Amino acid sequence: MNPLGEKYLRKPFLPFLFCPGCGDGMIVQAFLQAVDDLGIRDDLAMTAGIGCSAWIAVYIHADVLKVLHGRAIPAAIGLKATRPSRKVVVFTGDGDCLAIGGNHLLHAARRNIDMTVVMVNNQIYAMTGGQVAPSTGVGSRTQTTPYGNLEKPLDGCKIAVAAGATMVSRWSTAHIKQLGRTFKKALNHKGFSFIEVLSQCPVQTGRYILGSGSPQFNLQWLKESCVAVKDPSQWGEIEAQGKIPVGDLLQIEKPEFIEEVQKMNRKVKEAQAQGGDR
Amino acid sequence: MKGAERIEIDRRYCKGCLLCQYVCKFDVFEPGQERSALDYRMPTPTRLENCRICGLCESHCPDMALTVIAKTQGKEGE
Repeated sequence: MNPLGEKYLRKPFLPFLFCPGCGDGMIVQAFLQAVDDLGIRDDLAMTAGIGCSAWIAVYIHADVLKVLHGRAIPAAIGLKATRPSRKVVVFTGDGDCLAIGGNHLLHAARRNIDMTVVMVNNQIYAMTGGQVAPSTGVGSRTQTTPYGNLEKPLDGCKIAVAAGATMVSRWSTAHIKQLGRTFKKALNHKGFSFIEVLSQCPVQTGRYILGSGSPQFNLQWLKESCVAVKDPSQWGEIEAQGKIPVGDLLQIEKPEFIEEVQKMNRKVKEAQAQGGDR
Repeated sequence: MKGAERIEIDRRYCKGCLLCQYVCKFDVFEPGQERSALDYRMPTPTRLENCRICGLCESHCPDMALTVIAKTQGKEGE
């Protein structure tokens, strides 16, 4: 086994329950590489909801909270609020984060809470049998849209930017080295980091949407449809060409919510100590 | 430094997706006949002399089953 796996994975849980050729295992490895390089295992706390990608957190031998469907971000806020020195990472899928947990994403991004949300996007509800998800493209045939999907897909990155996240990136499993670097950046970033990872799902997306269940075909599809851009202003241009722009979309500094709460706490306590009521 | 000393594929975890063969630019892997513990056909690194130790196969292995072990030319202890 890979030395990183020897060091960081929970051995009794192995092998991964992911299907052959699934991108989630690659994300585990890229994330572990980032954790290993930064040496933050003891501070790491992860939460995960429901879905294939939520299992990523469970295999990593660190603090993990597996919670209700869509509620990974609120649980992460709790972890962060109770001990702000923690590096909180949320592993969530596209259905988990954009559909049932969409509201939580908006409000955590709005408050700029220091955490890293890794949204693994495989464009379908894969674990439940291939139903249409908020990120499924127009015209895609799934189990619940046998004549093609009519709904426009939801773009998680743009939602995160609009809601006020301070770091937003999108990569795919075909860009695994860049993804590892972005994980490192996000873990060091003070504020809400949102990373969308386009991942191949040969069994559901591959067979029903793209037309082949071969992992190689699916990775090739990601490689061909993603265009890495350095300048975020080019994202619209790439989208107009029908391709998927990947890269770092945003990184800015804003006051962090938990720090602000602590500051206010101190201020109020000082005021109370001096006799005032606020 | 051309060529890896060996490429280990853990037969407990390999699911035979052959992504290692797909990402390898130097044609090191071939689909093999040996079956892993999960009853998938495992790839075999037949052309080890081609390996440049770029690590692509290792980082793309979805089951973290693959390890590339570099040649240690004369260096002792490592």
